[in-house]
Amino acid sequence: MEAILKGLGLLLEWQNILLIFGGVFIGVLVGALPGLSSPMAIALLMPFTISLDPVASIAMMAALYCAGTFGGSITAILINAPGAPPAVATAFDGYPMARNGEPGRALGLAAVASVFGGIFSLIIFIAATPLLAEIALSFGPVEYFGLSIFALSMLASMSGKSSIRNLIAGCIGVLISTVGVHLATGVERFDFGVSELTEGIHFVPVLIGLFAMSELLTQSSTLNDAVRVMSAKSLKLPTFAELKKLKNLILRSSGLGTFIGILPAEGSTVAAMMGYNEAKRWSKTPEKFGTGHDEGIVGPEAANNAAAGGAMVPTLALGIPGSGTTALILAALVMHGFRPGPYLITETPELVYAIFGAMLIANFAFLGIGLAGARFFSLVTFIPKRFLWPSVFIFSLIGSYAYSSAFFDVWVMLISGIVGFFMMRHGFSPAPLVMGLILGPLVEETFTQAMVIHDSSFFQFFESGVFLVFMVLTVISLSSPFWPKIFKKKK
Amino acid sequence: MSKQKQKLNPATNLVAGLVHKIDLIVASILIIGGAYMYYEATLFPAAPNILGDTLNADIFPKMLIVLMIILACIIPFEIRFMPEKIAKIDKDRSVSLEPITWKTIVLLITLVSVAEFLGPMVTMFVTAACFPLVWGEKNYVRIAIYSVAFPLFVYFVFNKLLGLFFDPGVLQYLVKPTN
Repeated sequence: MEAILKGLGLLLEWQNILLIFGGVFIGVLVGALPGLSSPMAIALLMPFTISLDPVASIAMMAALYCAGTFGGSITAILINAPGAPPAVATAFDGYPMARNGEPGRALGLAAVASVFGGIFSLIIFIAATPLLAEIALSFGPVEYFGLSIFALSMLASMSGKSSIRNLIAGCIGVLISTVGVHLATGVERFDFGVSELTEGIHFVPVLIGLFAMSELLTQSSTLNDAVRVMSAKSLKLPTFAELKKLKNLILRSSGLGTFIGILPAEGSTVAAMMGYNEAKRWSKTPEKFGTGHDEGIVGPEAANNAAAGGAMVPTLALGIPGSGTTALILAALVMHGFRPGPYLITETPELVYAIFGAMLIANFAFLGIGLAGARFFSLVTFIPKRFLWPSVFIFSLIGSYAYSSAFFDVWVMLISGIVGFFMMRHGFSPAPLVMGLILGPLVEETFTQAMVIHDSSFFQFFESGVFLVFMVLTVISLSSPFWPKIFKKKK
Repeated sequence: MSKQKQKLNPATNLVAGLVHKIDLIVASILIIGGAYMYYEATLFPAAPNILGDTLNADIFPKMLIVLMIILACIIPFEIRFMPEKIAKIDKDRSVSLEPITWKTIVLLITLVSVAEFLGPMVTMFVTAACFPLVWGEKNYVRIAIYSVAFPLFVYFVFNKLLGLFFDPGVLQYLVKPTN
């Protein structure tokens, strides 16, 4: 009870409320601006939050995450260009509804569905996180190694063009995390004679490079692309009768989204697509999907925002990111000196409740911001790219430099961006690389500890029932991309 | 068949009807890079005896590199069991990089190269002025306003509000210290 009061009490300070509302505003803004995304915004904000209160900084990023998921639906509906990947499914019916002369109604449905989905998942989040953390307290190095391998194997089914390339990107991320001094033996690894590399490669500049710089290079070739924007004067909330008709769909999509969010590595994008598909499957009028149907907006929006809350569960309870964006929040936790995992609940429980409170506030705040500022957010899409993206570069440069006041990090940021751009062209997604980079130290540390405990005998790992379960789940997740083909052949 | 259509047609991307041409190059780069990293890992010294039972520093990276090389070997053959996904990737990379993208890369490298000498503040002004110009902006008044206002805004927010120190860079030679 003391932790709940302390955590929620932190949110009553005006500076922290300001930070949370700032996070919501930035989240909706970056979500609305094509090319920008909440992972990018979090990566750019991270170095600047070093001097701020740690709990408030993390709460702000969590609020940004919530709001960004909704913000992406603004451009999805108004210009058929989802501002964030989770909003792809929203565009299927959101843009047709806007074209039919009801952009405000489409935004209203998206906003309300997002709020319900977000609140549903937050209830699950606050109930499940301490329970899961308690189970994880009994995990030893073997069990944690199994869990981290399972989390990395989920990269195979992560959204992207190729499972093999996702796994390779994950391996590259883990390999990057091995650069620097090996803590167990003091050996300098992969420094190539560069003194700055003995400290390792800081993840913040890599994140900024992968998300911001690679997107800047992608956008450089679309400077003259014309954009047709449906102007929305205001958000139009659905009536009570409309909501009553949609309540079963909202509950179903919220439950589905929360569950998918809890799975490691899966996130809002997968949740949104499944939310849309399930909404169509259960609908009495599936033929109307794609023409501007209410259910086609409500299904994915409730699911994608529910996934945001769900993804925080494994991130905080286990230290395993539930999605690409929560991998960044995990990185921010580490940067601020927190220890993600079960010890977070025992050592700093007020942080969990502060995040819960921040996300709760964010879920209502973006509704308010959407109501008051729909016209503003539709107008920001007119910001010329020739000024928008140099601004992103300036923030990236300052952010990378600010992290440890070293220009070496700026080079890391730039090289990550250029390499990331070419990797994306060949089907390698940045999110798996980020997951690998964040999980890498955990994987190696638990593997080393487990091998020492079991006298370097890997087969003894299988004596742990929990490890066996994770290995079975790993095999299932690695083979899941091939199931549609196998089932198709059998039919 | 046009060059664009040739690139998109999976059949024309195959070498000897077996493997994807471009993915073969991608896999080769990964394998050669992995092999070099593996060789580097063999040069890591063993853990000193005083540390007792522990894994040597090279074990984990070597396992990872071997896994990565095995996965990289599969890439050229992906077209055979996931042709639709490879077709999507081919669609993206069939579009040649535009000259503006190469110019942007050169500009970014140049700006970062001089950033340490110029300092963050001057680099921001130079970036805000050069970027829109290189990207074809013709409204010089807008560029002038942006190249002054935006860096000043960033300086105010991050230096004055957030307390971030901005290295003076070249400004230290231009502004004489007062005694």
